[in-house]
Amino acid sequence: MPTRDMRQPLPMGVGSLTRGWAAVLALGVVGTVVGIVGYAVERTQGMVATGMRDLGTMQGATWGIYIALVVYFVGVSFAGITVAALIRLFRLDKLRGVARMAEVLTVVALILGALAIIVDLGQPVRGVINLFRYARPQSPFFGTFSLVISGYLFASLVYLYLTARRDAAVLARRPSRLQGFFRLWAAGYEDTPEQRARDRRVTFWLALAILPLLVIAHSSLGFVFGLQVGRPGWFGTLQAPAFVVLAGVSGVGHIIVLAAIVRKALGLGKRIGRDAFGWLGLFLLGLLATYLYFVVVEVLTIIYQPGVIEQRLSEALLSGTYAWLFWGSVATLVVPFLILAWMALTRTWRVGWLVTSGILVNLGAIGKRYLIVVPSQTHGQLLPYGIGSYTPSLVELAVTVGLFSLGAVLITLFMKVFPIVDLETEASTELEEVSA
Amino acid sequence: MTKRGVVTIGMILVGAVLMVWSYFVGAAPWCATGVECSNPRVEWAPALFVLGVVVAFSSALYYSIAKDK
Amino acid sequence: MTHYAMAIDLDRCQGCRACVEACKIENNTPSAVFWMYVFRLEEGTYPDTSISFLPRPCQHCHNPPCVKVCPTGARFHRDDGIVLTDFDRCIGCRYCEVACPYGVNFFNWRKPEQAFADYQLAMDDPDLAAVTGGLIPPYRNPDLDELQGDEQRRTAGSAHYKGVVEKCTFCVQRVEKGLDPACVVTCPVEALVFGDLEDPNSPVSTYLRGRDQFKLLEELGTDPSVIYVGGTPPTPDAREIERPMTGVGNANA
Repeated sequence: MPTRDMRQPLPMGVGSLTRGWAAVLALGVVGTVVGIVGYAVERTQGMVATGMRDLGTMQGATWGIYIALVVYFVGVSFAGITVAALIRLFRLDKLRGVARMAEVLTVVALILGALAIIVDLGQPVRGVINLFRYARPQSPFFGTFSLVISGYLFASLVYLYLTARRDAAVLARRPSRLQGFFRLWAAGYEDTPEQRARDRRVTFWLALAILPLLVIAHSSLGFVFGLQVGRPGWFGTLQAPAFVVLAGVSGVGHIIVLAAIVRKALGLGKRIGRDAFGWLGLFLLGLLATYLYFVVVEVLTIIYQPGVIEQRLSEALLSGTYAWLFWGSVATLVVPFLILAWMALTRTWRVGWLVTSGILVNLGAIGKRYLIVVPSQTHGQLLPYGIGSYTPSLVELAVTVGLFSLGAVLITLFMKVFPIVDLETEASTELEEVSA
Repeated sequence: MTKRGVVTIGMILVGAVLMVWSYFVGAAPWCATGVECSNPRVEWAPALFVLGVVVAFSSALYYSIAKDK
Repeated sequence: MTHYAMAIDLDRCQGCRACVEACKIENNTPSAVFWMYVFRLEEGTYPDTSISFLPRPCQHCHNPPCVKVCPTGARFHRDDGIVLTDFDRCIGCRYCEVACPYGVNFFNWRKPEQAFADYQLAMDDPDLAAVTGGLIPPYRNPDLDELQGDEQRRTAGSAHYKGVVEKCTFCVQRVEKGLDPACVVTCPVEALVFGDLEDPNSPVSTYLRGRDQFKLLEELGTDPSVIYVGGTPPTPDAREIERPMTGVGNANA
């Protein structure tokens, strides 16, 4: 019978509220409230409260920062399943320490992506109902919404739940305020060899099944833009692949940052070791290299022999209105590439530089998503409308802050009710004590 | 084949059939001219698609959680 | 099978914008929304410039990108060629707006009560009442709230609620009654002609017979139902030299 003091804290900081944690949560809640207030203004005034306007005669952009955020958040959700796949399919056990937080990141990112779509709808309640009632497969939006949000989200939830059952069972043996919750999660888990074999099998096949969903999800988001013949700057075959790769870049970048924060907060220097970061860094490097290759191909194509409209668009991107954002985003992707390449070549992975890279590539991803959505509408009209403009309004910025804050709140809360890192090593000793 | 295996495969098949049927038959046809292209053949077909996804992936839950008798 | 089409004679159009006005009155469109729009275009460099006018209603394409991308089937193409929006089903995602190469879609950014603030008459204004004697109330076409056509969907008129997208309907509420669209009827020089292209004796078929025609952005494969005669398509060099008021952006935003 294990003799555990009832007052010993639960592992991974679960259930013990620290000052640092409370501060982060408070900040997150404040941000979320800002977002809710912003959205309330948008709902009461109508979407005139945003900076979006009709394209064409009204010379605005009708898809703005919200759609950029939809694409960005769904892109970040690439993270969880990638790590899961790497661990299960390629037996990269070094990454086990970041597995769960990656899965949590996926779920939270998908929720934020769905919310970002909803805040962009003119009739949100009707939107949710009508999409389940009438959605047309021919619309890439249908492909995005139902396949991504439902399939990917549910599959990721199942994956998160199943891979965490063992830890829940371990924690359920201890008396604590959360014991009932852990028992529910564990759902009668018995740590027998058959159960472990079953779990290995199921998570392997689940990871394998989620991979095609991943490709379909991000590709269909790319198709939302790439199939529009009437939109110079959007129409093209590269959109779908580029979306998948940039999703990977932002997702892996995010995990690196999250892993570093968790590692620092919970003192898990050994558990999430240098080699885990090294693998993530290499993976990010590969994805970044691929994406930068796509950027080069894109730029060369639009400057070599562009049509008149494409010329107008490329000028706006490379030297005009959007040049600061374009070159800024490219810089935030090239600099991390150089940093990661250096670390890979010298085989010394520094967590500080990895975190910097992770943050930079995410800023670059947001910038690039914005550049995909907006310039084609303001500078890419095929009929001779005037050049348009779009600036996000305070309401849109408030909602943006709200979405990111909500993500932080969800992850922060999760960390306190369930271990954000697998209990692997501790668990095996505990359960051996029980069965002895 | 154990009961567990049968039920799991069954759930996956049911889910897959629901998904394929909802996407290709139940939901609106893939065309752009004519009023029928704007209405699903079966209303709420997309919801059935989501249900298919849930059933198919819940098979993993069953496989893992179900107790041996 | 009927195929409604509109012929536009660029030789006759003199840019009076009566069609734009008529459309607004018939369909109750809010400020800065131009279902029917007339470009004033200049081509060439001074002093070798030329001015032309280009009326641009919705093209009612036979291969409509807006219909394909609508996630809920609110935008649909009728068998008689008219492309309509069921504003009871529209969720306001604005995908049709970004997909349309012609830029004919308009989103209701404001609530109807506020969408006309820029030009609605304040009927209780004492100066105005002195002139009208309260006799002319703001007119709103009651047909706009009716279910239209065999499909029985609400597709006519504008500004029913905020948060949905609308566009030119070829005045479906008038066509259902056997009338021509408001813009066609109002044009003082008969530059706009409407009718059934499948009927060789219809006004539009006779109008077009034997004349050089073009369609806007034909190379995109949208197969529009609006056919232009008496001119040439705008060149990439063409630019607008009269812009509409940007309205919503400047007014109450």
